[in-house]
Amino acid sequence: MITVGIESSAHTFGVGVVEDGKILSNVKSMYKISDKGIIPMKVADFHQKNAARVIRRALKESEAERIDAIGYTKGPGLGPCLRVGQLSALTLSRITGAPLYPVNHAAAHIEVTRHLFGLHDPLVVYVSGGNSQILGLENVPRRHYHVYGETFDIGVGNMLDSFARAAGLKPAWGSSVARLSEGGRYMRMPYTVKGMDFTFTGLLTNAIGLLKSVDKRDVAFSLQETAFSMICEAAERALLLTRKREVIACGGVAQSTRLKKMLGLMAGSHRAKFYAAPDEFNSDNGAMIAVVAEKMHSNARRSSGTMDYGVKQRYRIEDFDIYWR
Amino acid sequence: MRKISEGAEACIYKTMMLGRNAIIKYRVEKSYRVMELDSDLRERRTRNEARIQAELYEIGVRVPSVMLAGRHFIVMNEVAGETLNKIKMIESGRGSTAIRIMSEAGSLLARIHDHGISHGDFTTANLMLDRNGRLWVIDFGLSAFTNSAEDKALDIILMKRSVGEKLYSHFIKGYVGGTAEAGSVLKKLEEIERRGRYQTRTLSVG
Repeated sequence: MITVGIESSAHTFGVGVVEDGKILSNVKSMYKISDKGIIPMKVADFHQKNAARVIRRALKESEAERIDAIGYTKGPGLGPCLRVGQLSALTLSRITGAPLYPVNHAAAHIEVTRHLFGLHDPLVVYVSGGNSQILGLENVPRRHYHVYGETFDIGVGNMLDSFARAAGLKPAWGSSVARLSEGGRYMRMPYTVKGMDFTFTGLLTNAIGLLKSVDKRDVAFSLQETAFSMICEAAERALLLTRKREVIACGGVAQSTRLKKMLGLMAGSHRAKFYAAPDEFNSDNGAMIAVVAEKMHSNARRSSGTMDYGVKQRYRIEDFDIYWR
Repeated sequence: MRKISEGAEACIYKTMMLGRNAIIKYRVEKSYRVMELDSDLRERRTRNEARIQAELYEIGVRVPSVMLAGRHFIVMNEVAGETLNKIKMIESGRGSTAIRIMSEAGSLLARIHDHGISHGDFTTANLMLDRNGRLWVIDFGLSAFTNSAEDKALDIILMKRSVGEKLYSHFIKGYVGGTAEAGSVLKKLEEIERRGRYQTRTLSVG
């Protein structure tokens, strides 16, 4: 069985092809972000121009000769960008006659990691631009990813981006903050964890304010250490509450070497194993959408209700059923 | 001295002190944090916890009394009882006792808030029922001196997520009856919920 996945929730238009769980290709075209950030309509235009080319390349690289199922990102994401992926998928479905599957973007990041390592029930640390959540599978009322804790305000990725812009750094901001922080020294910053939830704005405001008077490296270092420690602490509490045996990190910020190291130490201290997928699957990509669409297609009879082939900017992960093993 | 539990933050040991059963809460070192942040957090939290607990004890809120506090540990009086999340009757939400307890939990939180303190982790796992049916509040590890409506509203949200709708309504009744400030806190709570996160969440573990 061959499945195509199309991802376009933000600045990446990605197409991946999967055959019976094996990833055959994973092609991306990324919009180059200006210093000011993302303008959704402009990114959507960019995606529209590239869509056909990226799809063709992914199919060519995969050497697939037919298409049995097609997945696309329904949300969460930027409306105009999501629309391009959805329309590409609809078109491809019309041409090939293959059935269409709307996929939750966050669930896809998790599922591709679970798939790559063959994990059953990991505690999930999902860290991206717009989101930062601690999750795990729960069976009631339907099997879904339950949010144990999350950011009360902004995602850790956007927090690092805002800081990087204020510090005059160049994109990609997450890694430029990491580079700047090398050799920095720790100074105390606002640290806010409430049970398994946390907030970042106080920390961000404090760090930006310090840029004028303190060595940038020290600010970057302390900001990163504080933010990641908060996430680790929330995850640690969730790990002890749920007593899961595996911890995974996924989403854009899961590309951070430092965060992965910290989560690995945390998990290890409770005799749990830690996993993170290669960066190619933690930045936005089409293969993860294909992986989920394949599972949806082969377990279609277990699915509840009818599917809605729309897009949804604020698509909560709890609302996406995981009806496969 | 015997280790009785290992939490995310601290290890709990049971011991005797001054002829009484006592609990030692020791904040453990975390290798994932840079050393300065780690020792700073452990020290600040221990000091803060001991201070808040002692202050609440002074004004007669049922909390374990602090016997001794060090840099990373607190020795306190042991409360013999069961936390609410382990009591079936509360879990199922039936019976007049469950209703009485939840309403009492509400007025307890109101008293704590009125004293300018937020608990920080106000769930059924941190409320304890002793053998005489009296309700105690434990674990002030994430508590703070604060008068912000947001901090107080977050305490209520945590409870809302840890019990069913019916028990929550009794909890809120107890809270509203216990403090004149309830109006502004509940308004803040609505505002937090409107921010979009939290819409479909209920806690199903614990």
